[in-house]
Amino acid sequence: MVNLTIDGKQVTVSKTATIYEAACEAGVHIPVLCYAKKLMPYGACRVCLVEVEQMKGRLIPACTTPVTEGMVVTSTSDEIVKVRKTVLEFLLVNHVVDCPVCDKGGECDLQDLTYEYEVVSNRFEGEKFDLPTDEVNPLIERNMNRCVLCGKCARVCDEIVGYGSYSFINRGFETKIATAFDRGLNCEFCGQCVSMCPVGAILPRPFKFKARPWQLKEIDSVCGYCGNGCTVTLGTKDNKVETIRFNDKTGVNDGNLCVRGRFGYSFINSEDRLTKPLIRENGSLVETSWDKALARVADGLKQSGSETGIVTGARLTNEELFLLRNVAKALGSENIDHSGGECYKGLTEGLQQTLGLQASTATFPQVENCDAILSIRSDFYETHPVFGMVVNQAVRRNDAKLTVIADKRGKFTKLPEAKTLLHKPGLEVNLINAMCRVLLDEGLAKTERLSGVDELKAALADYAPETVAETTGVSVDAIRTAARELAAAENAAILLAYGLPYTAASKELGIAAANLSLLTGIAGRTGSGLYVCGEKNNSQGAIDLAVMPGATGLGAQQMLSAAAQGQLKALYVVGEDMVSSYPDRKAVELALDKVPFLVVQDLFLSPTAQMADVVLPAASFAEKDGTFTNAERRIQRVRAAVPSPGDARTDFNILSDVLSAFGAQAPATAAEAFAQLTADTAAYQGISLDMLGAQGYVWGTDILTPITRNLVAVAGSKPLDAAHQLLVGSALYHSGTMSTHAKGPMAVVSEPYIEFGREDAKALNVAEGDLVKLSADGEIIEAKAKVDNRLPQGVLFAPYHFSALGLNKIYRGQPAIAVQVGK
Amino acid sequence: MTESAQQAQTEEIDLTAANAVIDKYQDMHGALMPVLQEIQEAYGYIPEETVHLTAERLNVYASQIYGVLTFYAQFHLEPRGKYIIRVCMGTACHVKGAGRIGDTIKERLGVGHAETTEDLLFTAEYVACIGACGMAPVIMVNDATYGSISVQKTDEVIQKYQELG
Ligand code: SF4
Ligand code: SF4
Ligand code: SF4
Ligand code: FES
Ligand code: FES
Repeated sequence: MVNLTIDGKQVTVSKTATIYEAACEAGVHIPVLCYAKKLMPYGACRVCLVEVEQMKGRLIPACTTPVTEGMVVTSTSDEIVKVRKTVLEFLLVNHVVDCPVCDKGGECDLQDLTYEYEVVSNRFEGEKFDLPTDEVNPLIERNMNRCVLCGKCARVCDEIVGYGSYSFINRGFETKIATAFDRGLNCEFCGQCVSMCPVGAILPRPFKFKARPWQLKEIDSVCGYCGNGCTVTLGTKDNKVETIRFNDKTGVNDGNLCVRGRFGYSFINSEDRLTKPLIRENGSLVETSWDKALARVADGLKQSGSETGIVTGARLTNEELFLLRNVAKALGSENIDHSGGECYKGLTEGLQQTLGLQASTATFPQVENCDAILSIRSDFYETHPVFGMVVNQAVRRNDAKLTVIADKRGKFTKLPEAKTLLHKPGLEVNLINAMCRVLLDEGLAKTERLSGVDELKAALADYAPETVAETTGVSVDAIRTAARELAAAENAAILLAYGLPYTAASKELGIAAANLSLLTGIAGRTGSGLYVCGEKNNSQGAIDLAVMPGATGLGAQQMLSAAAQGQLKALYVVGEDMVSSYPDRKAVELALDKVPFLVVQDLFLSPTAQMADVVLPAASFAEKDGTFTNAERRIQRVRAAVPSPGDARTDFNILSDVLSAFGAQAPATAAEAFAQLTADTAAYQGISLDMLGAQGYVWGTDILTPITRNLVAVAGSKPLDAAHQLLVGSALYHSGTMSTHAKGPMAVVSEPYIEFGREDAKALNVAEGDLVKLSADGEIIEAKAKVDNRLPQGVLFAPYHFSALGLNKIYRGQPAIAVQVGK
Repeated sequence: MTESAQQAQTEEIDLTAANAVIDKYQDMHGALMPVLQEIQEAYGYIPEETVHLTAERLNVYASQIYGVLTFYAQFHLEPRGKYIIRVCMGTACHVKGAGRIGDTIKERLGVGHAETTEDLLFTAEYVACIGACGMAPVIMVNDATYGSISVQKTDEVIQKYQELG
């Protein structure tokens, strides 16, 4: 620690602090423009200049100068004020002052400083910038006439996002921020640059002329898309969500978001939202009252009783999932499940059998300090982008060694020095097995407290790196290096995401990853972690609350087969579009067709809802109170910001009504439900709502210690023998099917596509935008082609979010699908 | 040039030479400048496709490379003529009528500063004093200097190089 004095105030700060940080600590205000807490010190704008007694004769930038013992700092003096004013005058020479129509007005650093320093006239004169505005994309507008060249956009896009859109170009007066070849912006559209720009040079287009900042009400909530669980601060006006506000004080994401969180809120305001309950009469769905709809539901479910199946998505709050479980109980049914019932088995069976846990063992922020990171699948960035940005920071700032076990290239494989184990589809387990084998062979494995060592050794006989190299197409060296680096690292992380498009071998992958985490000592070690992250915003909550079949109950897949065979009397589907997103659409449709009574509760009239007997209009995350648990076990508060459209109700209210109809007691409020569910859930015991502070509450503490340490032998797969294989997965711009109702993500990726690598595209004579057909098993799907350089030869990719593509007609949960390509 | 026209044009670029340059520097840190210089040597300018190639292979952002290319005057993003006509616009030459020389070139070849004729034979460049004030006004064509130049002499010089082809 270091002691210094700022404006006469004594302050003690860490020796790595800068004068600016010390001043913040001491409560002394120093103006800044180019400084940002989350970026590396830069020192370009010179508005933060201060005097330091020990460095007389010149002014010192507070934002870059480290503190030293006994420093005496003066933050304001006549001279300092003069210099700051001059800096501002210079900035205002070329700056086009259009505050009255600038969306930044009212929260613009340049405007505020000009006001604070009373810069009413300018001693300098010069040409005003006259650059065209970049309005090529629908999400982010760039008006470089307002730029103050602080470089924050370029830095955040590099340091945090790792995309690298911007650079300073040209020289002198011509200097400006631009993309490569000074084109329109075309990037991930995460909007980090929007949130960093201190002026109105980079603005969110959907928010243009929607509201002045001071007219907005701000409500902190949690993003309703993925398991990353980012805080989103909803900016509302007249009961409408108009934008997402920057907030780096709350939650785990440090103010960072991905395109879905930043621009995907618009599904809340979608015209297509269901606003009235619907009931099937004479074969078609007609609007009805809640009373009638609920009576019909109660009636139908009472009749089906224990032969009811309940399937939910993982987007409900914990409180709602808890009520849903109570509905099952009230019906005497153990048939309850979520997310297709397969993809999460890496946790519930994989990690359970090995570590005795069903959750990630550590939290996101500590990955920034990891020395080695292993990502299983390159798609981890697509499923959990903001956690992916933490990985980027670890790699860029702290030189973490990143290894990616990948069936295609992606953002991760492009990070500096990243090593990619590019393998044939479906062979992840083989590679992890080989890495385990290397650790055991080379005596690097930390086997002390582990059981099952000999059995694993025996089982790994077939997984010598040489053998696996042959099957997977990855080099022996790469496998060995990956294993060694992970074992040698003091702090290391293993990342694995799961979700509906990643159903294949989920349990096996979970086990393999857990084995590796045990042999490397990663599981349970401070600073290290095994992360098995669910695709949806409350995937982890659904597991924690055991929204899964009871001992004699049926899982989602079994319910579907039972329904198809006429053995299930009713199906209650909540917040899940099974027809569009579950593997094997034919089977799902058959089951839904056969089941005598189908209730669907959703925001939209999805293809699943279209088959229902009763459709109940539900509320979005922005309309409800409750909690979500993210993929690192962080329980965070979700807060209602706007009312639901029309007669739509929260799932909580609907489920309460259903419970009442059965004469069962329902908690009156979400808070009451939280109290009940924590008492009922081992891991949540003792947690109360007021413990969920600004950073939420991580159940089981930051590091979760494995309950057991069992190595479990698990078999890999054989490569698929097919000239063209289709991979199914997530696209960065979407999450589940919900984002396809959101204007933001749809503005970037508006329709399904089939992605080809350049070589294949050339060989098949397929060009970007061509309509292509893929056939498999007598089914044909058709979409436009996208051509780039991510895919190895013979491998194609399609995202699973778009119902219209009918991808699940050929996707039945396989790791890769053998397809014929035609036009 | 429109974006698509530029793209269409760059697609035909043969990247073998650029790849060879990058091969040489692949494992060297901070090799961006020499790579770009040698690519320019090989192609006469920096074709867009080589920027993307360099970005991918050296793992540098294309935006950063573009920043470097626009910062240093030595790099050219457009194809350049076989003959670079440098018209000195320094003080001495200016006083002695360099403006008229520039105009003449514009009239005859249709190219102003930093522009290239469509047949890729000539690029005009207006430059600061080239250190031959004694013979102002001065132009240079590649390495050859032509002093005390007049409108008529300019015509002759242009014609000479046009005949050379
Ligand atoms: S939106 Fe994100 S990816 Fe795009 S330029 Fe801004 S920071 Fe970079
Ligand atoms: S656009 Fe904004 S963030 Fe980027 S340099 Fe200009 S003022 Fe700074
Ligand atoms: S979708 Fe996921 S990563 Fe993106 S903002 Fe929402 S929670 Fe964060
Ligand atoms: S804030 Fe310190 S130099 Fe810009
Ligand atoms: S001014 Fe033209 S050569 Fe010096």
